Amino acid sequence: MMRRKPRWWLYIVLVTGFVAMIFPFIWMLLGSFKTNAEIRSAPLNFFPENPTLENYVQLFGRLDFTTYFTNSVVVAVFVTLGNIVFSSMLGYALAKLEFAGKKVLFGLVLGTLMVPGVVTFVPLFVLTSNLGLVNSYPGLILPFLITPLGVFLMRQFILSLPDDIIEAARIDGASEWRIFLRVIMPLCGPAVATLAILTFLGSWNNFLWPLVVATSEDKYTLPVALALYSVGQNASQYGLMMAGAVVVVVPVLAIFIALQRYFVQGIALTGIK
Amino acid sequence: MNRWGSIAAMGLVGVIALTGCGRAEGGSTATSGAAIDAKPATGEVTVWAMGNEGEVLDQLATKFEDENPDVTINVTAVPWDSAHDRIATSIAGGETPDISMLGTTWVGEFAATGALEPTPEGLVDEASFFEGSWSTAVVDDVAYGVPWYVDSRVLYYRTDLAEAAGVEAPTTWDEYKAFALALKGGGATSGVSLPPGGFDSWQYVAPLAWQAGGDILNEDGTEFTFDTPEWAEAFEFYKSFFDEGASEAVRLEGGEIEQKFIEGSVGSFFSGPFHVGLLREQGGPDFADKFAVAQVPGADTRTSFTGGGNLTVFGDSENRDASWKFVRWLSQPETQLEWYDISTDLPSVQAAFEDPIFTDDPYLSVFAAQLADSKAPPAIPTWAQVSAVIDQELEKVTRGDQTVDAALKTIQQQADTIGTGN
Repeated sequence: MMRRKPRWWLYIVLVTGFVAMIFPFIWMLLGSFKTNAEIRSAPLNFFPENPTLENYVQLFGRLDFTTYFTNSVVVAVFVTLGNIVFSSMLGYALAKLEFAGKKVLFGLVLGTLMVPGVVTFVPLFVLTSNLGLVNSYPGLILPFLITPLGVFLMRQFILSLPDDIIEAARIDGASEWRIFLRVIMPLCGPAVATLAILTFLGSWNNFLWPLVVATSEDKYTLPVALALYSVGQNASQYGLMMAGAVVVVVPVLAIFIALQRYFVQGIALTGIK
Repeated sequence: MNRWGSIAAMGLVGVIALTGCGRAEGGSTATSGAAIDAKPATGEVTVWAMGNEGEVLDQLATKFEDENPDVTINVTAVPWDSAHDRIATSIAGGETPDISMLGTTWVGEFAATGALEPTPEGLVDEASFFEGSWSTAVVDDVAYGVPWYVDSRVLYYRTDLAEAAGVEAPTTWDEYKAFALALKGGGATSGVSLPPGGFDSWQYVAPLAWQAGGDILNEDGTEFTFDTPEWAEAFEFYKSFFDEGASEAVRLEGGEIEQKFIEGSVGSFFSGPFHVGLLREQGGPDFADKFAVAQVPGADTRTSFTGGGNLTVFGDSENRDASWKFVRWLSQPETQLEWYDISTDLPSVQAAFEDPIFTDDPYLSVFAAQLADSKAPPAIPTWAQVSAVIDQELEKVTRGDQTVDAALKTIQQQADTIGTGN
């Protein structure tokens, strides 16, 4: 077999991509230690001239940070759990069970996937408001407990599992519940990890829904609170914004690192990202 | 069958999504409700206010609660960037607060939904407000809410550059042009920084039309008047700054302009009161005496652009009595002075400017004088669309791709097609 030449160009592409992706991140991190005047100064300073913790002091002092952080965590955790439970249940049914109207149901799921969120936004809000859920945790969480993307992702993954193991379990007398919980779910690790990261990230970064549904400040999530304090009508506090962004990114990074192994596996297996 | 089933199901979803936006048309025949008495306010009132206002309004609300022991004011701060979307959605969902602050240019649009309550007869004295500012609350001759604070554009200029060039703050168009050229001769790349086009550049050219004696709508507010000699004059004059090199054809975004002004490459620019604080903060103590503000130069008049924030009460409010009382209290001259102290927002009530805080301050007194001659765009729901056309055509003119006459003809045509929304 011919020995391959070292693919130096590949490294150039990778390094360029890496720098392009990491640069804004480093800029954000460095920016969080600069004063507002320094961030806007021309020519730009890459490294902070007089590093300051002022932005972080403001972030944790002036803002009711704990409340916003707790709200964000509560919402993101419940949304993620809901998606893991419900999306995999429906995904399993659509992949492996036979019942009347299955194709139509799957078509409906795909259909909702095609309708952009902005279209359903106002009707969804009207519904939430008619149910009296405005400015409450359920109002923030319920609409996102199950997402078509999650169902699709789980169905595609479960579809790839062999029917034989299900049939074997059935012959052994296991109920559908038991098959789902004991046979299918343990095999779904990579897909669940992917789903968990995607939904957590989606919920954590969600801005428009909490902005509209959380009508009082004690229900604001982090992104809404950050927009509130850092973006003014005439002047924005970029330093504070950067510091906030750093703090918002940390939990996501932690989760991603924890689930990274499964995540990559999940992408490879389902071909979905 | 299977495939067709799926397709049918997807189609169904589409249809459901399309029909999801049915809201009864708001009536524009609103009449103002019962008058508000002088008794103390009671009950709970929810107020939405944006950004800094939302953050500090609590301090003022506490004083109202002290004067009216049975009332509770809940202030919710809303991010400026997204306030418009949030209010629009809450109107659609029937989840409006009792009171909301609105950007002055939003009143027409939200009033058209029928969600705002007209200002009760006799609540405030219309004449106590700046005329241009009061007009931002009036849609089709009906006032919705009251102006809360105001903002007007004045000319910021580098005193050291002006002195070196031997010029003084201009009062007429001719002086203004000479002034800009002189500052440029003194080393600035832009004698005056003007956007050659793009979002909101109409705010620079509309005042010129006003100064020349023109307006956006005719007397009855039914027709656009862009194809008039006054607008042509305004466009020609604006264009000449780029043609003669008094202004570099570069659009400076917020943030850039302060820096260029401080380093001296921009000799002057137009902006609102907030820039005084920004320049002091970013320029440091040495810079404080290197700039000054002046009333905008003019032709027939020296009219500038006014904006700011209004207070409106929603028709769905469960406590309209206390809501209007709070609004009334906020528009008293004494309250407005306190509010200036807390927020540095300029009062919308003329009487407040008689206070020495304003008359003795070299910056604030200029704003006070300018506010007496300031105008706002008409409060029509279609203004955002119409102004976008101006922004676009203005850019073609300043780039030399389009003649002034042709551009104004296009603006007039498109504006007529869009209509005034009434």
